[in-house]
Amino acid sequence: MAATDVQEFIQQNRALADQVENHRGISETNKQWDARREFVLRNINEFEEAQIDQLLALSMVWANNVFMGCRYNNELLDKVNEMADGIVVEDAPVFKTREEIMKKVVRLKTSIFPTMHNMF
Amino acid sequence: MGVPAFFRWLSRKYASIVVHCLEEKSKECNGVRIPVDTSKPNPNEVEFDNLYLDMNGIIHPCTHPEDKAAPKNEDEMMVAIFEYIDRLFNIVRPRRVLYMAIDGVAPRAKMNQQRSRRFRASKEGAELTEEKDKIREEIIGRGGYLPPDEIKERFDSNCITPGTEFMDNLAQCLRYYVSERLSNDPGWTNITVILSDASVPGEGEHKIMDYIRRQRAQPHHDPNTHHCLCGADADLIMLGLATHEPNFTIIREEFKPNKPRPCALCNQMGHELKDCSGTAREKQGEHDQFADAMPGSEQEFIFIRLCVLREYLEKELTMASLPFPFDFERSVDDWVFMCFFVGNDFLPHLPSLEIREGAIDRLVGIYKDVVHKTGGYITHNGFVELERVELIMQAVGVAEDNIFKKRKDDDEGFKRRMKDKKKRMKAERPPAYMTGGQFAPQALGGRNRPDTVQNARHQAFDMRMQNNQVRSDAAQSLKALMKNGAGGPSGAQDARGVKRKAEDSDSEPEPEDVVRLWEDGWKQRYYKTKFDVDSTDEDFKKKVVRSYVEGLCWVLRYYYQGCASWKWYFPFHYAPFASDFKDIKGMFSDFEKDTKPFKPLEQLMGVFPAASGNFLPETWRELMSSPDSAIIDFYPDDFAIDLNGKKYAWQGVALLPFVDERRLRAALGDVYPDLSTEEERRNSLGSDLLFVKKSHPLCDFIRELYLAESQEATQMPAELCHGIQGMLTLDADPILPDKPVESPIPSLRDIMTNSAIGVKFLDPQFEGDHVFKAIVLPKAKMPAKVLKPGDWEAGNRNSNRGNWRPQLGFNPNRQQAHLNQSAHRNGQSYEQLQRDLRSLCGEFRRRGKRLKVVSAMLDVSSVVFEASSEFLPCFGHPV
Repeated sequence: MAATDVQEFIQQNRALADQVENHRGISETNKQWDARREFVLRNINEFEEAQIDQLLALSMVWANNVFMGCRYNNELLDKVNEMADGIVVEDAPVFKTREEIMKKVVRLKTSIFPTMHNMF
Repeated sequence: MGVPAFFRWLSRKYASIVVHCLEEKSKECNGVRIPVDTSKPNPNEVEFDNLYLDMNGIIHPCTHPEDKAAPKNEDEMMVAIFEYIDRLFNIVRPRRVLYMAIDGVAPRAKMNQQRSRRFRASKEGAELTEEKDKIREEIIGRGGYLPPDEIKERFDSNCITPGTEFMDNLAQCLRYYVSERLSNDPGWTNITVILSDASVPGEGEHKIMDYIRRQRAQPHHDPNTHHCLCGADADLIMLGLATHEPNFTIIREEFKPNKPRPCALCNQMGHELKDCSGTAREKQGEHDQFADAMPGSEQEFIFIRLCVLREYLEKELTMASLPFPFDFERSVDDWVFMCFFVGNDFLPHLPSLEIREGAIDRLVGIYKDVVHKTGGYITHNGFVELERVELIMQAVGVAEDNIFKKRKDDDEGFKRRMKDKKKRMKAERPPAYMTGGQFAPQALGGRNRPDTVQNARHQAFDMRMQNNQVRSDAAQSLKALMKNGAGGPSGAQDARGVKRKAEDSDSEPEPEDVVRLWEDGWKQRYYKTKFDVDSTDEDFKKKVVRSYVEGLCWVLRYYYQGCASWKWYFPFHYAPFASDFKDIKGMFSDFEKDTKPFKPLEQLMGVFPAASGNFLPETWRELMSSPDSAIIDFYPDDFAIDLNGKKYAWQGVALLPFVDERRLRAALGDVYPDLSTEEERRNSLGSDLLFVKKSHPLCDFIRELYLAESQEATQMPAELCHGIQGMLTLDADPILPDKPVESPIPSLRDIMTNSAIGVKFLDPQFEGDHVFKAIVLPKAKMPAKVLKPGDWEAGNRNSNRGNWRPQLGFNPNRQQAHLNQSAHRNGQSYEQLQRDLRSLCGEFRRRGKRLKVVSAMLDVSSVVFEASSEFLPCFGHPV
């Protein structure tokens, strides 16, 4: 389904689309929501109504990975990437994860990398 | 408060608020330790009524200390906590109430910060273990020696969260501790102990504030109660000011920067983990009894006197010719509110406000300007006047551009100086302005005396030429720098920004800064990079600003009234700009009512990473890692860090997803039935406990309640306990006099003759719409002024002001001792005096007292030092 297909789908399934709209997060930008909504709509037929939360969780795994740089278990990431097949995200942000930063620091053999034992 | 630099700024600007604590040490007689009698007067020459302990500030350093070896097991940790509380009790000597508050489930607004800390701590712990194992293998492979790894499992500091077994054990241990001290320590005889453990919701410091606020609001409260609050957070200072109680002091450890840490592998000092060679440690002392004591390592404490801070603020905030009546208490509240702008635990701070850049001073300046236009104060009893706040924000907004540019300049200057210093040190060359050759500086006192100067004029000419060369070199390199430097401003086309070239240094490349706030177009780049949105998207910006405005209202209300909503939180990782705060008045009305906190185990699911899942029941733990879990997205294995221009990972912003409450509760609904009875108990909300000794007037009243087996809550009679009020209910498994108390710690004895009694305690309750007033209570007496009066003139005998003298410590009439003329007349030389002084200090130290030399006049005719008056008579010297 291309973006236009999504629009068509929404037109034809008003009730479903409205229901899905309820799941938009307060901090999601239009761009992020459009992409995640597409993810949900593409896969909604695979899930029963009672399992909708599982689909939402998977959509968040994908969105967190693309828009926030979170990394999950490789199998899980493979699964959601498959489910997201065909979704086009323009200009996706680039991130450095904590592991990547720490590895880089170790490699450069800096004399001290302070670890912070936070108190609270 | 999330602003560690705040206290440093405050104590430098308002230096007289700090008083060093005098700590009476226990004496030793024939090898037996004689405990200090805390029922004696306080050597700090002040008597405190109430001591409040923010326990988490004690639990963390006792369980995973940074500056000494870690305790070997849980029992050692508990004993360390008891000893720490004993130390504080000894210094403060409260006469009425000891209140111990452990963090319970926090409001949602705080949970995001807690989540971030725990996710990070978990990863740091795993990395440390990995490194330790690696180096351990290396050392053993080389044939070195390491003590056997006594600590089988690394202590996961994440267990210091409400709902874990550890916190449950801690609560039990504290009940034992309280009963033991009440029964046996004379200093505890008359006090009331209140213990609010992790099962009672609310952050420790806010439970304390709630207690104080509610006592203040009831008619029997003694308005001159002297409070002492123990904790390291800078926002305790704000909390103390917000109470408007005239006698409020904070006690905290004195922060000594750059303290050495023991090696994580062999626990010895002097090297780091990566340099560990595992050599056997030398025995220290005949039986190695000094092994754990680092020389001079014991932490010292300081008092922070809020009444002195109020004096400073009065001078700073007094404003003339206001269009409305001046009320100092209201301006204190406004000052507190402005400190929140610069940093708090619940909102990211605005990018243009950094405490290191003097943000608070800037805000106060703007405030004093703007308040003539606002028509009134910007806060009232913890409620925010949004219209007036907008005026302040707009004024900051105007300055934002300059703030960013100046920040960059300062940064560059600093880096340049550091680089130059490094280069100099490497080349071992003296600075360019040092004279060379026969004019080079010569050390004094050596055998070789400098020769007479030859051909001075030639030398001077050479030096001038050399100097010119150095200067022209520098000028050339500057020109080159300017040519290659930052190109023209990147406009809207280049929204993402060009990557900055790494500076050529032999150190690590500079972290990239995509946003570059000092260049035009910063607003667009910021919104694009941080929020992934066009800065023209006004709707989105309004959403962020609205949430932030809600946040400011929530935080202020939290400090003055209590938690307005357990559910509210700021759903973004970054703050907007001050200049975006437009038309904010209509953005916020009120919070959702009747919200409830999470239960302890629910909260654990919301703050723990999957790696700390061992603290949760099995089926709950599975929700953190199973791919079919409906909440699997809450637990990423790794997450992005936005360095925001900083260097180290821990300084950056952790981009963790926010927990969706609805989905969390729905998922837990399925696994709730799996809880054991024990887990159910840990998951329930608990109650504060109150303890007194059987000789306390309140004891008989409580005993009657138990005998009557009353099921209802009973009001405490005000006259039995210094005017303290509250509701008492029976504890199901109470501590009772003459009923033995079992010790949960093997190394400590059971209490066979227990004299303590315990009962459940509830703060006075008020109607839902009650507003706690931020005023000084009618019968309160303000303490005497300490600071130099503004119009004081030195040596002016005529005015009254001439009598002012600086005050050290709490007592304005502190006794001073003099080493008088006789010493001088006896022809004592300077060396003799030094010797006398040293022996004086030694003498005092042996008696367990401390002596501080306050001032010594240059002609050594008199030396003034301070000592508490009760120590003087025991001294044989002609003092």
